[in-house]
Amino acid sequence: MSVAPIAITGMGCICAAGRSLPDSMEAILRGGRSPAPPVRFASGHPVRYPVFEAADFDEPPDLPRTGAFGLHAAREAVADAGLDRRTLGALRVGVCVGTTVGTVVSEETFCRGYLAGHVPDMTPIRRILRGNPADVIAREFGLSGPRQTVVTACASGTDAVGIAGSWIRAGLCDAAIAGGADELGRITYIGFISLMITDDSPCKPFDRHRKGLNLGEGAAMLVLAPERVLRRSGMRARSFLLGYGSAGDAYHMTAPQPDGAGLRSAISEAMATGGVSSTSVAFVNAHGTGTPDNDRVESRVLHDMLPGIPFLSTKGYTGHTLGAAGAIEAVFTAACLEMGKIPANAGFETPDPEIGITPVREVTSVSGTVALSESLAFGGNNSVVVLGKA
Amino acid sequence: MSGTDRIVIEGIGGVVGFGCGVSDLTRALTGNAPSPGTLELSTGSGPFTIPAFRADVSRLEEFLPVRTLRRIDHFSRLGLLGTHLALADADLPEAERPRLGIIIASGYGAAGMTYAFLKSFINDGDISASPTCFSSSVHNSAAAHISIQLGAKGPNLTVSDVHLSVPSALATARVWLAEERVQRVLFGAVEELSELIGYIRYRTRDALPAGPMTPLRTEMETSIPGEGAAFLLLARESASRGGYCTLDASTTGTVPSPGFPFPEPGLLVLGADGSRESGRRYAAVARNARVACYTPLYGSMPAGPAFDLAAAALILKGGRVFPSPGSVIRDFPASVPVGGDPVGADRISCLTLAGDEAYGLTTLGRVDPQ
Repeated sequence: MSVAPIAITGMGCICAAGRSLPDSMEAILRGGRSPAPPVRFASGHPVRYPVFEAADFDEPPDLPRTGAFGLHAAREAVADAGLDRRTLGALRVGVCVGTTVGTVVSEETFCRGYLAGHVPDMTPIRRILRGNPADVIAREFGLSGPRQTVVTACASGTDAVGIAGSWIRAGLCDAAIAGGADELGRITYIGFISLMITDDSPCKPFDRHRKGLNLGEGAAMLVLAPERVLRRSGMRARSFLLGYGSAGDAYHMTAPQPDGAGLRSAISEAMATGGVSSTSVAFVNAHGTGTPDNDRVESRVLHDMLPGIPFLSTKGYTGHTLGAAGAIEAVFTAACLEMGKIPANAGFETPDPEIGITPVREVTSVSGTVALSESLAFGGNNSVVVLGKA
Repeated sequence: MSGTDRIVIEGIGGVVGFGCGVSDLTRALTGNAPSPGTLELSTGSGPFTIPAFRADVSRLEEFLPVRTLRRIDHFSRLGLLGTHLALADADLPEAERPRLGIIIASGYGAAGMTYAFLKSFINDGDISASPTCFSSSVHNSAAAHISIQLGAKGPNLTVSDVHLSVPSALATARVWLAEERVQRVLFGAVEELSELIGYIRYRTRDALPAGPMTPLRTEMETSIPGEGAAFLLLARESASRGGYCTLDASTTGTVPSPGFPFPEPGLLVLGADGSRESGRRYAAVARNARVACYTPLYGSMPAGPAFDLAAAALILKGGRVFPSPGSVIRDFPASVPVGGDPVGADRISCLTLAGDEAYGLTTLGRVDPQ
């Protein structure tokens, strides 16, 4: 059942931790994090819930912020892979991007205008319709391969990476740019507050006193290519996409299945397709949102399936970046494998007796050759990628 | 997937303006399509209506208890009805449902719930935002409801690529089957015409049509928005008990120059949706091809190409082409077969154009080529 490994030849990232992957890695290994009430938008909510907003970047005015994030990360990834437009043009390159808001045809100002009986300006709607994140990247680099925008809620970024790997193995494209992108705005902020799963203080994944998530924003992209393309394009492998698994809970719209059966299936499939056993797993980059439900279910599964293997959540540094999370965490995972160390699980102080296992509390050296990155999502989607050291 | 293990369309389920199920689809394709209804847009300056193909989901009560449906919105009901019709059409045993993979394609997602969520806090303040509307507004809500109702615990994916959502999602469905991740994929395209989407459609098109859609007349704007769901149950041929046709290829990409490598001498089903721009683009790329177009039956919507596939599957099974409604083709540079003509080929391709640069192409074939 194992599949051929796909090389990760370039990576890019932008999030609250940094405007690039090296900057972000430096920040999370330093333990730096600065959640704060949003400054890019206001809310009439009496509690000012902290979020992780990305710093200003080269944001093209004609693009939605989600597309701009994706493009920024893709440029870094393409440059990191050593690709130029001529090389890209000679390959059939696909684009697969996960998002939660990047394809939503709604805009608050437009909607307010419509409800008030005005004739609202169509500019924001036209921008959205032209701003599909996969299209934005394909247009920018003149790519001729398949393009797809994945919208499986918070598992979108992980799914996009796994699907792009499958496309390459199936011969749909020679290489792919894959990842996730999501902006943070009022609609998402107000929505998550309404669900009562946001923490009014910095999030504390896996901690006994965790109260919920902090939202974040950003993007990460990976350049994926098979061995045969590496040889002819001059790219080198930084790490490998070894396996991918996904499974549905078929249980509830917003709550994970209590026994984590869907996540167990996804982990099993990812490890089987990656041809890896638990003995070679260096660490797990968990979904770890900081919500009571997610962390309880996820830790139960890790306790049963991967006992004793170090795990952490990086959402204490980035917030929950929703459709971008799986991709951001995948590039963090690959970078950690390269560096042989993982950051502390920010926000964790007090072990939860109900959980029974604890994430890493300090920067920790790791020695295995593979690592897992997990995502759980609304709708009961569970997705996992297995990444391997080059 | 082995070289001989093709993908078969085992079942078709659809709900759209003309009705639901294969029998209604066949009736519409043979020339009995109903007229469009209307969508009322309420603004502060007064109500006005636009023509629209609206879908009636009341038949869902044949498959699910009313109590179960109480908290399920229109977008997901469309998906659930399409699902149950396709599974019933394929006569899939219940025991097979937990192993299904699910892939949903939608250009606009749960547009009604998204609008309802916005209204909840615009009208009543941020603190009054509706959590129910928010959780139902995610694009994968229909896929989630389908998996919950079927107990389907396989991989579950929703993609949103506006007009290319269908061919894009089908490409991944083929890969899942080829990799043997699953033996069957329940593929569906779902589109909901919310009030806000209707208003955006009204604002982005040149004029309201005065008559029926005539998508192959490139000098006229005749686009009428639609909504609905079209589902296909896909199976590896080795696991299949037969079906309508095979799904041979599906791809998206940049429009090639100088032209498409359309299978010859097959039939090309065009996704032209009645807009002038769309008509011109299809005329440019389908020059001299043998074409058909069925969009006037269900209207203009991103999920439309899935209805094209359902029509193509019925043509391949029956061996004869359905007439293209509204196909006054005075200046369309292609041949349009009349209803009842033999299909004349083992393959039919469905073409979707998105803007000037992007396309999707899906090819179906006879189960038993001649």
